[in-house]
Amino acid sequence: MNPAAWSPSVWSYFWQVALHASVMGVILYIWVHRLGLPSGCTRRRLLAALLVVPLVTAAVPGRSGVEFAERLAWLNSARLLAVPLGAGFRVYHVVLLIGGVTTLLTIWQELVAFRHRPQAMRRDAPASLEQMARSRAGWERCVVGVSDDPALMVATSGRPGRPRLIVSLGALESLSADELEVVIAHEHAHWRGGRWLQAHALFVLRLLQCYHPVALWAFREYCVELEMECDAAATAGGDRRLLGRVLLRIYQATDRRDIAARAVLRKRIDALVGAALPAPPLPGATVVVATAIMLLVLPWIV
Amino acid sequence: MDRLRGLGSFVLIAAGVLVALRLTHYALPVVFPETRQGPIAVADLEEARRLVGFDPLVPAYRPEQLGVRPSEMTVTLSPYPAFAIAWRNAGHFLSVTQQRGGPRPLQPPLARPLDNLPDSAWWMEDTHAHLALSRDGFWIHIVTNLPSRELRRFADTLSS
Repeated sequence: MNPAAWSPSVWSYFWQVALHASVMGVILYIWVHRLGLPSGCTRRRLLAALLVVPLVTAAVPGRSGVEFAERLAWLNSARLLAVPLGAGFRVYHVVLLIGGVTTLLTIWQELVAFRHRPQAMRRDAPASLEQMARSRAGWERCVVGVSDDPALMVATSGRPGRPRLIVSLGALESLSADELEVVIAHEHAHWRGGRWLQAHALFVLRLLQCYHPVALWAFREYCVELEMECDAAATAGGDRRLLGRVLLRIYQATDRRDIAARAVLRKRIDALVGAALPAPPLPGATVVVATAIMLLVLPWIV
Repeated sequence: MDRLRGLGSFVLIAAGVLVALRLTHYALPVVFPETRQGPIAVADLEEARRLVGFDPLVPAYRPEQLGVRPSEMTVTLSPYPAFAIAWRNAGHFLSVTQQRGGPRPLQPPLARPLDNLPDSAWWMEDTHAHLALSRDGFWIHIVTNLPSRELRRFADTLSS
């Protein structure tokens, strides 16, 4: 039953992915906080690496034997998983419980997102809104729809080449033309610079790792970073406070119990209205070398 | 060096985490002896093969008085992978332990090689005859209370 003894099998691989992600996650978390690394491309790259690298290192062959685990490996996780907790329970029972709960959480999260996905009404969008959207590069064929949602909501769906912009009635009624422009610019930024493809590719990898919380956390953080990058792209050269004000209204309209959503909005608003200039990101070479070190080290943990 | 700014702290933190993991690796079996991997009872040779990662050797020759089925099959995963199989029946006993790697098992000073069997040593301990031999990176230890002449036949018929 010990996951580390499920070798060689796909279950053992899944356990190794979770193990490697946990070790790498701890190292990156401490590193980022020690450096005081601000939001930005370095954080996004590290989070993306955290979702990709464990899938690679766990697949390195030749490590499934007991001899490797006991004599060559830096850490044999079978020992850790076998630690007794009393009443016949061991650490691996807790690990299996966490895996099950995380899987259920992922299913619930995705089902809720699917059920609450924005739906456009059949009615035509205002011509000015269509003009606003289709004037943007790559959005010439954008389908614009209006939903009857009274809340302030602007979202996109579809695929590159055929994007779909959905604006709620609440947004149309409450946002000024400038505010609507900057919100649409934010949505448009999601479709530029390969962001759509990267986010969807990472989403697939995150679904493959639906059972471990590190992937859940890493993808969520990646999405927050992506939102902040799109905020910055949408307000580049313009008034950052304009988008900040819109986000503040969404923040105020968000249920107080939805702490996670409010925390993300707060972070985005702080980034937009904050006076401090963002610190320079780490050099790309640093991220590449750090990732390479992880690629070399993690296979020795089984 | 500016191109690798921040890498030094990454290396330090990674090293710290890895040292902590290594300490955990060593400390756990000391604090919790039950986390040692074995002995684990196995149902058949296939399961033993899957757990220890090598083909278990079993003597094809077994006197009838030992019975047909083994009374015990276990694997030990730490510190060296090992497989042990034993037959007990009506006061008769035979056990074969096969360990991959590790130092040569201890042998008494009076142990002597079995004729025409290289890398072997046999001895008597009370009523039990012992035979230790080395084969292709494995240490094999045979113990029986059957007549000591049977040791050679057990050793000669070891097969996977």
